[in-house]
Amino acid sequence: MTEPLLKVENLRIELKLRDGVAPVIDDLSFELMPGESLSFVGESGCGKSMTALAIMGLLPEGIGRIASGKLIFDGEDLTTASEARLRQIRGNEISMIFQEPMTSLNPVITVGEQIAEVLRTHQGLSRKAAWDQAAELLDAVRIPNPRSRVSDYPFQMSGGQRQRVMIAIALACKPKILIADEPTTALDVTVQAQIFDLLRDLRAQTGTSIIMITHDMGAVAEMAERMIVMYAGRKAEIGPVDQIIDHARHPYTQGLISCVPHIMSDLTETREELTEVPGIVPSLREFGRDQCLFASRCKYRSGECLQHRPPAKGFGNGQISDCWHAEAL
Amino acid sequence: MSETENKPLLDVENLTVRFEVSRGGSWGKRSYLYAVDDVSFTVKRGETLAVVGESGSGKTTTALAVARLVPAYEGAVKVGGTDILGLEGEALRKARQRVQFIFQDPYSSLNPRQRAEAIVREPLDSLSTKSEAEKQEIVDRLFAAVGLRKEQQRLFPHQFSGGQRQRIGIARALATQPELIICDEPVSALDVAVQAQILNLLRRLQAEFGLTYLFISHDLGVVQHMCDSIAVMYMGKVVEHADRLSLFNNPLHPYTAALLSAVPSVDRARREATRRILIPGDPPDPVNMPKGCRFASRCPVAEARCRESAPDLRDVGGGHRVACHLVDERAVSPLAALT
Ligand SMILES: Nc1ncnc2c1ncn2[C@@H]1O[C@H](COP(=O)(O)OP(=O)(O)OP(=O)(O)O)[C@@H](O)[C@H]1O
Ligand SMILES: Nc1ncnc2c1ncn2[C@@H]1O[C@H](COP(=O)(O)OP(=O)(O)OP(=O)(O)O)[C@@H](O)[C@H]1O
Ligand code: SF4
Ligand SMILES: [Mg+2]
Ligand SMILES: [Mg+2]
Repeated sequence: MTEPLLKVENLRIELKLRDGVAPVIDDLSFELMPGESLSFVGESGCGKSMTALAIMGLLPEGIGRIASGKLIFDGEDLTTASEARLRQIRGNEISMIFQEPMTSLNPVITVGEQIAEVLRTHQGLSRKAAWDQAAELLDAVRIPNPRSRVSDYPFQMSGGQRQRVMIAIALACKPKILIADEPTTALDVTVQAQIFDLLRDLRAQTGTSIIMITHDMGAVAEMAERMIVMYAGRKAEIGPVDQIIDHARHPYTQGLISCVPHIMSDLTETREELTEVPGIVPSLREFGRDQCLFASRCKYRSGECLQHRPPAKGFGNGQISDCWHAEAL
Repeated sequence: MSETENKPLLDVENLTVRFEVSRGGSWGKRSYLYAVDDVSFTVKRGETLAVVGESGSGKTTTALAVARLVPAYEGAVKVGGTDILGLEGEALRKARQRVQFIFQDPYSSLNPRQRAEAIVREPLDSLSTKSEAEKQEIVDRLFAAVGLRKEQQRLFPHQFSGGQRQRIGIARALATQPELIICDEPVSALDVAVQAQILNLLRRLQAEFGLTYLFISHDLGVVQHMCDSIAVMYMGKVVEHADRLSLFNNPLHPYTAALLSAVPSVDRARREATRRILIPGDPPDPVNMPKGCRFASRCPVAEARCRESAPDLRDVGGGHRVACHLVDERAVSPLAALT
């Protein structure tokens, strides 16, 4: 049996608030296998980006910290690694595409130089070799005329092309894990489809594991083998994508899937009201309570939901749901 | 159906909006960007027309011109038969009551220093001559209609969630009892659960008040759920315009087909049945549009004539209108020939 590439064990991340601390990630455990594609989904503010930043060792300084738990990457616990070692891992073995594509490129440096710089610092390539490889990477992310486009500045490229440059930078060091935080949210669907194809091909060619963060179940269905549904800093449900879509075992997952008007191929006159999940995600202050944090919005709520945090219930098929009533759903 | 029911509430004819742009270099030479270029469409009373298309295709500009929030360069915008583009003074004020706007961003579209009740009452203050008591009664009713509590009238925007702020925006749009409401990406900034609440609300209000919507969204699942007909825009032009079932079940323009094929789906059967139509490459420079079809540079089935002349938007049967040289009265997708 192959070992997981990344093992997250009982991770707790605390954020400093004006009046105390809040567990923005509260006892999260999961594994990522080599070459696997995993997705995080959930509404805004549920801790998806925070999980990614923790893996990258980039939690907001002075505000966020890993309070307990382990992040074991390739056998090494990142929570106890030195800053120097983390920096080494960050550029070379785990890399990330950030949520805001337009702000993550330097506007006054050519895209080629921005890719080449990564190659020089992390792989020690010469100027010439790095520049050549930058062009090759632009070609790999399917930017037309890469030899001339390397000298472009970010403003000379479309949103989709800039996002591809971001992917090229993230891939420059052939990472073992690529974390993509909402890589296509700002893009048109036709461009999104191209970026997804690209990520799929790159994964097939290089065996890179991909963690993709998104709020779109359709994107999860297209891109991932397994998904983790996050709610208020906790895992609500984890498991194989197809199975969860067929039969979600957590009321929040069911809500996320059924409240969205999914596009249908054979459209008819009938139009049902959309299922509503009432209410909104609780504020950070309420994270960490010993109860189900989804209870105020849940139609299956019963006494124990308000008294204790639900335990993880595993099902034979690899699905795990943190809900008191998971079996009955 | 009676005569008035059949007549469109909104009839946009040959609408053109252009912006002057400076392109460094040539002195004194003016260039224009035709953000909306000779666009015509109609919306029936009580129905929803969705406008879709990629970023920069001219959706917002069209909507703003219909609401007279940007000046049109040419064309007519008829609301209930009256062209509102030429109106001024009292007549314009009356027309403005009939057309309201809901904006994308519930965070920046509300004045942070005004209480919710004042925000909702504002169009009544500026556009109507009702008494204070009448206005208060209307505001009370609107708060109830969009699912907000009476005591929330006294709160400021920052004390509401994103979805609640969008409800305030909707209540404000309803205040003058408009006939046409323009919704520009009304749920894009919201989480999916809240989005469902707002979409249901918009449909309930439509049924209750007989509202007509011009609904802009980039989310085709949302569009499919909300619309009665759709206009697909590409680079300032409407390339396809049809009723909901015709457009989704038989998309004829290659761009429409590519757009629909790109939507990710949770439905495994749909994923397996859908052939992705790739349209790589870039759209043309909007200041320097090609003489032929604007989609030709990315179209998988473009022919020589596509680069030569621009196709007109033609009815190919049953009101299904398409602007493509390769689509005729047989209404067969030109992509069907691709294998
Ligand atoms: N630098 C920061 N300082 C204080 N609080 C923060 C900071 N960054 C994030 N938070 C808070 O932490 C919580 C989780 O944020 P996170 O960015 O992980 O959410 P997310 O699931 O990625 O949401 P989104 O879908 O909006 O990107 C939120 O309540 C957020 O406001
Ligand atoms: N005030 C303006 N001055 C100059 N150009 C403008 C102005 N407003 C819009 N444009 C241009 O007009 C075109 C259409 O823009 P518009 O905002 O209508 O697009 P859109 O379809 O709403 O796009 P999105 O999906 O990104 O909102 C774009 O090329 C845009 O850059
Ligand atoms: S634990 Fe209770 S409240 Fe929470 S999701 Fe399950 S049924 Fe709903
Ligand atoms: Mg995030
Ligand atoms: Mg717009």
